[in-house]
Amino acid sequence: MNRREFLQCAAVFAAGASSIPTSWALSNEQSRFLAGQTNYIDRKPLTYFNAAQRAAVTAAAEQVIPATDTPGATDAGVARFIELMVADWFNDAERAMFDAGLADLLARANGDFAALSGKQQLQLLEQLEAEAGDAQWYNLGNVTRVWDSEAPFICQFKELTVLGFMLSEVGGTQFLRENPMGSFNGSLALAEDDSAYAAELPMRMLSAETGL
Amino acid sequence: MSATQFDAIVVGSGISGGWAAKELTEKGLKVLVLERGKDIKHGQDYRGEHAPSWKIPFHGMPDREQNERDYFVQSSSYAFSEATRQYWNNDRLNPYVRSEEKPFDWFRSDVVGGRSLLWGRQVYRWSEQDFNANATDGHGIPWPVSYEEIAPWYSYVEKFIGVSGQAENLPQLPDSEFLPPMDYYEIEKTAKARINKKMPHIPMTIGRVAILTEEHNGRAPCHYCGPCQRGCSTGSYFSSQSSTLPAAQATGNLTLMPDQVVERLDHDASGTRITAVRTINTQTGERSIFSAKLFFLCASTLGSTQIMLNSTSEQHPNGLSNRSGALGKYLMDHLQMIHLGIMVDDVNSYYEGNRPNGLYIPRFRNLTGQDEDADFVRGFGIQAIPMRGDWQTTFNSKGFGADYKASLKKPNPMWIWALSAFSECLPQAQNQAYLHASKVDRFGIPQLATEFEWGANERALANDTGKQAAELFRAAGAVYYITNDESNMETGGGAIHEMGTARMGDDPTQSVLNKYNQAHEIDNLFVTDGSFMTSASCVNPSLTYMAFTARACDYAVKQLQAGHYG
Repeated sequence: MNRREFLQCAAVFAAGASSIPTSWALSNEQSRFLAGQTNYIDRKPLTYFNAAQRAAVTAAAEQVIPATDTPGATDAGVARFIELMVADWFNDAERAMFDAGLADLLARANGDFAALSGKQQLQLLEQLEAEAGDAQWYNLGNVTRVWDSEAPFICQFKELTVLGFMLSEVGGTQFLRENPMGSFNGSLALAEDDSAYAAELPMRMLSAETGL
Repeated sequence: MSATQFDAIVVGSGISGGWAAKELTEKGLKVLVLERGKDIKHGQDYRGEHAPSWKIPFHGMPDREQNERDYFVQSSSYAFSEATRQYWNNDRLNPYVRSEEKPFDWFRSDVVGGRSLLWGRQVYRWSEQDFNANATDGHGIPWPVSYEEIAPWYSYVEKFIGVSGQAENLPQLPDSEFLPPMDYYEIEKTAKARINKKMPHIPMTIGRVAILTEEHNGRAPCHYCGPCQRGCSTGSYFSSQSSTLPAAQATGNLTLMPDQVVERLDHDASGTRITAVRTINTQTGERSIFSAKLFFLCASTLGSTQIMLNSTSEQHPNGLSNRSGALGKYLMDHLQMIHLGIMVDDVNSYYEGNRPNGLYIPRFRNLTGQDEDADFVRGFGIQAIPMRGDWQTTFNSKGFGADYKASLKKPNPMWIWALSAFSECLPQAQNQAYLHASKVDRFGIPQLATEFEWGANERALANDTGKQAAELFRAAGAVYYITNDESNMETGGGAIHEMGTARMGDDPTQSVLNKYNQAHEIDNLFVTDGSFMTSASCVNPSLTYMAFTARACDYAVKQLQAGHYG
C-alpha cells in the first residue's frame, strides 16, 4: 500500500468511526478495496488525443458545463473521461464520427480552439448545434438508450461531457449530492435549490432492459 | 449399501441448494455441496458494493464489446452491470443452444451463492387458488400438494429468512410471517388513495421482500443503499451467502466445493437408487466421483434438467426418472409487461435512502371463476415502482453554459410510475429443453437446447395488463401514460423465473417427481429447484422453492432414519 492509498483507507475508516453505524459498514476488505481503487479517469495515462485536440476538448467541455458557483467540467476532469471513452468505449464508427467532428472543430478554429476567446468558442459550438438541429439525438425521450450511434459530433460531445461530469466525484458530490444511506424516508420536503441525487448507475442501464 | 463418502450430496448453492445444505446438516447429515461457479466470500468479495459511479469503469456505462463477446445473454438483465459482472455466467465459456425462432434467455450465475445474490427478493405465498388452478381449468396436471400442506413450511422458511411486509388478509395472496413493512413514497400514498376511491376492488400493498427492516437472526436491518444485487455485507437481504450456508457451516457437517460442474449421476444395478455424482473441475479439468446416500439436485431448473437428461442408462434411456417423457418439457417463465405513467403530484416531495422495493398490486383478475370480460384463464400481479426524473431524462436539449448546467441540477417536476405486470404462464409440452444432438461444451458435456414461445393465453394476458394499467393510471391521476401489448412481449426467460421441466404429480406416467420432490423412479433422488413446478402462479417463485426444499429435506431424512436407504 502506498502513502496515498493509506491515507484514503484512513479517511474511510475515520469516516466509519465517526458517522457510519457499524451495523451497516462495509467489510474491512471491501472498504480497503474501494479506498484503494483510483477513480476511473485516473487509472491510466491518456494517449489518444494530441495536445491541440486535448486542449480543444478541455475548453469545449468547459463551455458545455462551466464553473459557476459550483465546479465545472475542468474541475471534474471531464476531458480525461472523454478521451478514455472515445479511445476505449466507442465503436469504430462512433470514433470515426468523433474524430472527424473534432478535426472539423479545430479547422474552424484555425487549429487552436482553446486559443479562441470564450465568446468565439461558444459561437462555434452553437454553430455546430444549429447545423445538427434535426438530429434525432434531440428527440424527446431519446435518453434511455445506451448510446445513440447516429449522434453527430456535437451531440456525442455534449453527452460525454454530461456523463463525465454528473457521474464524476466532483459532479456527484459538489454539484449533485449523495443520497444519504441509513434509513428510508419517502416524504421529505424538497427545497427550492436542492439538487438531485448522484446516480449510482446511469438510469439507461435499467432502461435498456425495460424499454422505459 | 456400502460405506459412502457423504450422507448427502447437494448440487448447487443457490436459493434451493443453500436451504438443502442448511436443513440436511442441521439434521446431522454429513453434506457435500457441489457448486459449478467460483468461490467468493460473503462481504469481502462484493466488489461493486457501495462503489460510486466514478470508481466503476466507464462510469458504469456498459462495456458493449465485452458484453457482446462474453455476456450476450446475461447482459440483458437489469441486474447486470460493471458492478455485478463478476457474479454472472460467461456465455461464451458456458454456452447453450438458443433457438433463433423460439428463443429463451437463460440467466445464470457462476459463483457460490448462485442467483440468491442477484434475485429480486420479492417473496409471495401461493394461494389455495394457485395450487388448484391446473385441476380447475385443465391446463397441465393437478398439483399433488395443497396450500394447507405447504403453509407451515412457508412459515418455517419465512421465520428464518426474514420477510418485511404488511398483513392484508387477502385469500389470493396469503400473508407471510412479517417483519415491519417499508415506508411509502408520498406519490405512492397519493396514487393508492385515488385508486382506493375509484377502483375499490383493487388492493395495493407494500412489496413483500426478503429484506430486513429490523435485526433478525443476527443480520442487520437494511441501510437502503439501493442496488442489492451488488452484494450486501450486512446480510440485510436473504442469500445463501448471508444466511443458509453460514448456518450449514456452523454445524460442522458441511463440505463446500466450488468449481465443480456435475456431468451426470450414476445409479446401482437396479436403477432405482443413485450411488454417485461425477464431476469435472472447471479450473483443472480433473474428474472426480463422490458417493452418498441421498442426492439433492438444486442446480437451477435448466441445470438440474440437463444433469438428469445427461444421466442416461439402460434403465433410464431418456434421462433419469423420465418414463413419463415430461423431463425437459413444460418450461415456464412469467411474462413481464411494463407500462409507464407520468404523475405531476407531490413534486415538492423527495426522499432519503434508496428503497429496494415497490408497491404490489395482487392478482385481481379471474379471482372467483372467470371474469366475464376476460378472454384468458389465470391472472397477473403488478409490481409498481416510482422513479424521479433528473438530468438523465433532460440532457439532450439545446444549449451550453450556465443555463444548460442549471437545467440539469434539480429533480424534474414529475414522477415516473412504472407498473410491471407479471402474468402466469401455462405449462405447454412444446416449450422445452433437451440435449443437443451434437454440440458439447468445453468439458464434453452435451449442450442444453431450448425452445420457447408464449401462447394465446399469455398474449391475451399481455393485452389485459395494458388495459388494466391504463385504468390504474387514470384512477391514480397520471397526466400521461404509455401501455404495452402483445406486440411488445419480452423474450421467454426474461423474468428469470424459469421453471417446470421436472414437474411433480401423483401420476408417474405424467410427472417426474412425487409430492415430496422425490423422483418417481429413484427413491434417493430429490429435485427441489424450480424444475419441480407443476404450474407457475403469477407470483415470484423463490419462496415456494425454499418451502418445498425444506419440506423435502424433512421427508428425505425421515426416510433415511427409517432405514429406507440402508
